[in-house]
Amino acid sequence: MSVKRSLAGWWVVASAALTLCAPPGADAQVRGTIKGAGRTYAVALSPLKNLGGGASSPIATEFVDIIARDLELTGLFRMIPRDTFIEQPQASGVTAEDINFENWSVLGALALVKGGYTIQGEKVTIEARLFDVYQRRQMAGRRYHGTAQDVRRMANKFADEMMREFTGERGPFDSRIAFVSNRGGRFKDIYVTSPDAGDILQVTRTKSLNLAPSWSPDVRQLVYTSYKRGNPDFYLLDFVSGRETKITSGRELHVGARFSPDGRTLAAAIEQQGNVDIFLLDLSGKILRRLTNDPGIDVSPSWSPDGRQIAFTSARGGQPQIYVMNADGAGQRRITYEGRYNTSPAWSPKGDKIAYTSRADGGFNIFTVHPDGTEVHQLTASTGNNEDPSWAPDGRYLVFTSTRRGAPGLYVSDATGASQVALTDRPGGDTSPAWSNWLE
Amino acid sequence: MMGLRMKAVVVTFAVLSLFAAGCSGKKKPGPGDAGSDLSDQKLPEGSSLDAYQKGLRPPGDSGPLKDIHFAFDSYELDESARQTLRDSADWLKDNGSVRIEIEGHCDERGTVEYNLALGAKRAKAAKDYLVSLGIPSDRMSTISYGEELPLCSEHTESCWAENRRCHFVQLN
Repeated sequence: MSVKRSLAGWWVVASAALTLCAPPGADAQVRGTIKGAGRTYAVALSPLKNLGGGASSPIATEFVDIIARDLELTGLFRMIPRDTFIEQPQASGVTAEDINFENWSVLGALALVKGGYTIQGEKVTIEARLFDVYQRRQMAGRRYHGTAQDVRRMANKFADEMMREFTGERGPFDSRIAFVSNRGGRFKDIYVTSPDAGDILQVTRTKSLNLAPSWSPDVRQLVYTSYKRGNPDFYLLDFVSGRETKITSGRELHVGARFSPDGRTLAAAIEQQGNVDIFLLDLSGKILRRLTNDPGIDVSPSWSPDGRQIAFTSARGGQPQIYVMNADGAGQRRITYEGRYNTSPAWSPKGDKIAYTSRADGGFNIFTVHPDGTEVHQLTASTGNNEDPSWAPDGRYLVFTSTRRGAPGLYVSDATGASQVALTDRPGGDTSPAWSNWLE
Repeated sequence: MMGLRMKAVVVTFAVLSLFAAGCSGKKKPGPGDAGSDLSDQKLPEGSSLDAYQKGLRPPGDSGPLKDIHFAFDSYELDESARQTLRDSADWLKDNGSVRIEIEGHCDERGTVEYNLALGAKRAKAAKDYLVSLGIPSDRMSTISYGEELPLCSEHTESCWAENRRCHFVQLN
């Protein structure tokens, strides 16, 4: 079933990445030197060379445009304008021996991406290389195989490799962001996009409310709340089979389901007798265990990356605050004490921080705190309402909703808040982002 | 090579529409989720979700059962809300066959999930008070719409106050 395979296409993408030459050792000048936002690093991204002859393809620029967008979101790089480039891609080489590095150093580029593509029927091959302009040597090289549909994924993967070379850690871009939007009309549906926001796909199409999406660890399934049949129930959407399954029923509120890191269970808020508590469910929606039991609101569970603890919002003390408990519900303890309204915790994939929304400075802002309640840090200020943080898989970036330009849009911030870049920005509104794990 | 790119676009659209059909189940019922959107629960006429689906504003305060209002981040019934509910209880006693759905709503401030829970608590608070006034529990259901279906869309305190409400829908 080729259609079915296409449906799963963005999820699997066969593009095998082969390393082109061994990356150089730690002697490369720029390797691992970028630590945080502040000074930006000048990069030239040369359009790809057509290595196979024949007519040129838009993928020559598409590939580097996507990388540029990714790098822009990190706040670490400055792209050298393409119209200042001296070398023509088609008339110059793509290896260290063939590149005239003076043509790039004179532009102020510290790093250079060059590469080429070949197209044979359906098959697209892209090889991309990252060079240290001053050392005149290759830092990394990759060859990707796939189809024209896979070019975006190839670019996101190469951006991740570039981040690894510059910062010592893989970048977060070979992943997906799910979010809620009414961009398709007036109804709130679930959408999925690459982190560069260049391929936004609508995945629910109901005349209803679809809210609070969350990814399975293998990025194969989404769980969310939908009112499509009247009652707010959990639905599980499998991207490989294309099947959506309603997993809860009844007349109660079901909201904020999150997959456990092993992918086998969900922690979720469910209303019982008018009270909202956190429960552990299996993937068929069956309740395995009640995790909280108090008369105040308990909502928005977020697993620690090792699956041993769950952060959540509780209003048991009067106002909502962030709490942490063991995964079996034992040891419930409050960790936020500043402010009177702290909600929507998101536990970093690195384990060291919990991001959350706090009512502060006359609006709502994103903060982080260590799981033990120390080191409260404010990421956003004086920029409209900022809510619902979700961590990138590398634990260095966050996506969140902000009304800083009017209607809510998605923004990407580094973990300190020093760099904040608009990801989506259009009338209507994009909310409740959920950043997935890496696709592989 | 324009051909290849066009093809990719076509494939992407094919995927998208297949997906959409599979999700809504409207044109092509999917294997796991067949049927129309409302197959197992009929939306009450006059409910806020019903109005939303029809492209109307959420129903405001009209009829014998008046909306009640709340303070920010609160599901406590103030004296005004209690008085309104006492009037509603009298009407419900006089109209003993009427069943109602109590909708809990919030203003836009705060996070989506917390507000859904808060709306549930507001609806439950109203229901509990009506039960205490002698209205049988089985005549009343509750649902929360959180901050999703506001009456008023300006970012002002008066607008927020209007949105922090319970709305009462007659089911028959």
